[in-house]
Amino acid sequence: MRLLAALLALTAAQAQDGAAHDEWLHYGGTQFAWRYSALDQINTSNVKKLVPVWSFQTGDYDYGFQATPIESGGALYFPTARSQVFALDAVSGRVLWHYKYPLPRRPYSYINNRGVAVQDGKVFLGTYDNYLIALDQKTGQEVWKVAVDDAIQCACNFDAAPLIVKDKVIVGGTGGDQAHRGYLTAFYLKTGRLAWRFYTIPGPGEPGHETWKSDSWRYGGGATWMTGSFDPDLNLVYWGVGNAASDLYAGDRDTGQGSAKVNLYTASVVALDADTGKLKWYYQEIPKDMWDYDAAYECVLMDREFRGRMRKLLVHLNKSGDVFVLDRVTGEFLTAFPYVEHHNWITGITEDGKLLGRREPVEGKNTFVCPSASGGKSWNQVAYSPRTGWVYTPSLEFCNDLIARRQEPEEGRFFIGGNWFLKPPPDGPAYSHIDAYDPVTGKRQWTWRYKYMLFASILATAGDLIFSGDPEGTFFALDARSGNKLWSYQTGNGHRAGPITYRVNGRQYIAAPSGWGAGITGLMTTVWPETAQFVKGSMLTVFALPEETR
Amino acid sequence: MMQGRPSLWLLLPAVAFAQEPLARGTDVFNKSCATGYCHQVNGSGGGAAPRLAARGFEEDYILRVIQNGIPGTPMPAFSTSLSRADLMAVVAYVDSLNGIKPAMNASDAGPPPRKLSGKAQEGRKLFSDQVLGFARCSTCHQVDGLGLPIASPMQKIPENVAALKQLETPGVSTATLDQDGAGTFPALVLTQSQETKVYDLTLAPPVLRTVPKAAIKIVAGSSWRHASVLTAYSDAELEFILAFLREALPHGSANN
Repeated sequence: MRLLAALLALTAAQAQDGAAHDEWLHYGGTQFAWRYSALDQINTSNVKKLVPVWSFQTGDYDYGFQATPIESGGALYFPTARSQVFALDAVSGRVLWHYKYPLPRRPYSYINNRGVAVQDGKVFLGTYDNYLIALDQKTGQEVWKVAVDDAIQCACNFDAAPLIVKDKVIVGGTGGDQAHRGYLTAFYLKTGRLAWRFYTIPGPGEPGHETWKSDSWRYGGGATWMTGSFDPDLNLVYWGVGNAASDLYAGDRDTGQGSAKVNLYTASVVALDADTGKLKWYYQEIPKDMWDYDAAYECVLMDREFRGRMRKLLVHLNKSGDVFVLDRVTGEFLTAFPYVEHHNWITGITEDGKLLGRREPVEGKNTFVCPSASGGKSWNQVAYSPRTGWVYTPSLEFCNDLIARRQEPEEGRFFIGGNWFLKPPPDGPAYSHIDAYDPVTGKRQWTWRYKYMLFASILATAGDLIFSGDPEGTFFALDARSGNKLWSYQTGNGHRAGPITYRVNGRQYIAAPSGWGAGITGLMTTVWPETAQFVKGSMLTVFALPEETR
Repeated sequence: MMQGRPSLWLLLPAVAFAQEPLARGTDVFNKSCATGYCHQVNGSGGGAAPRLAARGFEEDYILRVIQNGIPGTPMPAFSTSLSRADLMAVVAYVDSLNGIKPAMNASDAGPPPRKLSGKAQEGRKLFSDQVLGFARCSTCHQVDGLGLPIASPMQKIPENVAALKQLETPGVSTATLDQDGAGTFPALVLTQSQETKVYDLTLAPPVLRTVPKAAIKIVAGSSWRHASVLTAYSDAELEFILAFLREALPHGSANN
C-alpha cells in the first residue's frame, strides 16, 4: 500500500507543471510562481551568441521601471510606474495600444507598478491610487473600474501585479507601515463585482483576534503588497502577509501572555479557499514581529520528495533572511534555513519552527540587527528550476540599528514605531549575491557575489540558464549548475524589474525590463554615494539568437 | 486628542507661538518624515531620502516642496495628507534644521480647523470606518475630504434616521447589459453616448462599466433603495452620521 501511495504521489508530482512554455501568462510565470520557463532554444552552449533584437522606451521614467511583463498570444503587456499600460507586438516591439491612466485627483506617495494580469480578454491593472481596472486586451479601452479603498484615508495602494484565479482576479495592497489593516480582495473577471475579501487581521469574534491587544488590530498592518500563488488541485490561494504595525514597537499590540502566536496573521503565509476567500490554514513565521520582517514575498509551490516521501511544498523567503519550507496541503512547518550570510536576529529555529534567541529592538536604544529592515532580499522574486531542483535567491547583506519608539496610530500615517539606520555587516562592506539552494536540504550549491545590491527578479530556464540584471545596467546570464557568468549585455540602465522569456514563431526571446529610479536609489546612495550618478530610465530590451544560428 | 492641539496654539500670544509650531513640527516630522524609509531623525538622511539639515534651503522652497512634493522622486505632496497647521509646523521644523527663523506666521497656517461637535466627530469616524469595509458611507460618498465621489454631492440632509432610510433614490436606473453575464442591474448613469458609462450598484463597491451604447439598455427607475446599503449601521450610529453631515456640509444646517 505504501509503495502504491508513493507511486501515486510521484505520478501526481510529475503531473505538476509549474513551467511557463511559449507564453508567460502570470507574474510568476505560472500560478506556481517558479519564474521558470521550459524553453531551451537559448542554452548554456549558445547563450554567448545572444543579441538584442529590439528595445522600447516607455517614456514614463521618473519612478523607474519595476514590472514583469506578461506575454500572451504574441503580445507583451506591462505597466509603467504611473499606471500606464503598454501592449507591444512581442516580435517587433511595435505598440499595439497604450493606456494612459489619468493622474489621480489627489497626490499620492507610493508610485510603482510591478505588473498586470491578463485573462478573459482583459488586462487587469492595480493603480497607484487604489483602483482595479480591467482593460480590453485588444484595444486597451476601459471595460470596468472599481475603487478598492480610499487611498488618502488608508495611505494604501496597489503596486503588485494582480493574480488570476479561475473566474476571479485577486489584488493585495500596500499600507503595512501605515496605521492600516491589511486585506486581500477578489473580483469577478467579467463583471468587476466583488467576490470576497479576506482581512489579514481577524476582527472581533473571529479566531485569532485574541492575539491582538485591545484595539491594536484596527491598525496592525498585515499588508499583502506582493503577488500570491494558486494550486488548482487543492483550490487554494497562497499569499504572504506583511509585517505587524507599528513595525518596531510591539508593546501596544502584544497581549503579553507569551502565546506561541502573536498578532495573527501578520508575518504569516495564509492559504485561502479560492472560491470563498475563507482561511484554510496559516503559518506564522514570525510571531510578534518587531523587525519589519514582512512575509509578503512570493510563495513558490513545488512537489518534491521530502524526507522519503513526496510532498506538496511551499517555499517562502521571509525578509528575515530565512527560507521557510511548509507543507502546502496542511501548512505544517517542515524546515527552515538562512539564505543570508549575516543573520543575528535569532540564534536559530527549532525543528518545529520555534524562534530561538530573539534579538528584539528596545525602546530608545539602538539594537544592531542583521539582516536589515530592507530585507535579506527585496521583493524581487526568486526562481526555481525543476531540472536542478534548486531555488535561485537574490540576497542582500545589510544590517541595521533598530530603535523602537512607542507611537499612537493615526489612520493612514506612517506607523513605524521607531526607526532604522542601515549599517554594513560587522566584518566588512555591504554586498549582495545570487545563490542556488536545494530547498529540501537547505544546502547552498553555489554563490555569485556582486558589489552593490541586486534588486531584479531572477529568471530560470530549461536551457540551464539564470538571467537577472544589476543596478549598473548589466543584464547577465549565469550557468544554473555552476553559477559561472556566461554572458552579459549593458542595457544602459539599472535593473529593478522581472525578466521573462517567451517563444513566437519558433524563436525564443528574452525580455529584460530595466529602469532605475524611485526610493531604492536613495537607499543605495546612503551606502555607496557614487550610485547617486545612476540615471533614471524605463525600458525593455529584447534578446534572441541571431536568425542564422537557430 | 491631536485634533484640539492646533487650535490651541493658534490662540496663544505671538511669543509663545514661535515655540509651539516647532515642537509640533518636530513631532509630526518624526512620525511622517523621519522614518527609516525617508529622512531620518533630525533630517540627517540615511534612509531612502536625502539629508535635510544644513542644506541652505530657503523657506519658500521648503514650503513648496512639502506642499507639492517633488515629481519624479518618492517625495510626496503633503498638502492634503497633513492639516494646514501640521504642514506649517513641519515647515517651521525644517526651517530650524537650516538655521532659518520661521518668517511665516499664524495667518499663513490658514483658518483654525473647523470644530466638530463630539457627536459629529463620532459620525465622521463611522462615515468612513475602515472596519466596515465596503459597507461604509465613504464607499460612495465624499464629504469633508473623506471617501469617493461616486454619488453626486448631497443636496439635502435627511431630518432624521427614518427619513434617511426612506430616502428616495431617483438617480438610479435599471440597466440590462448583454455582456459578461452582467444581466439586469441597478445603475447610476454617468454618460450615455457612444461610450456609455454606468456604475453597476449590484454590490458594494460600485463597478464603473464602460460599454458601447448599443450593448446596454437603460430604463428609468429601479427597485434599488438606499436603505439596503445602510445595514451595517445601527440607528444610533446613523444619528451620529447625520450630525456629522449637518456640520460638515455647508448647507447642512439652518445656520449656514
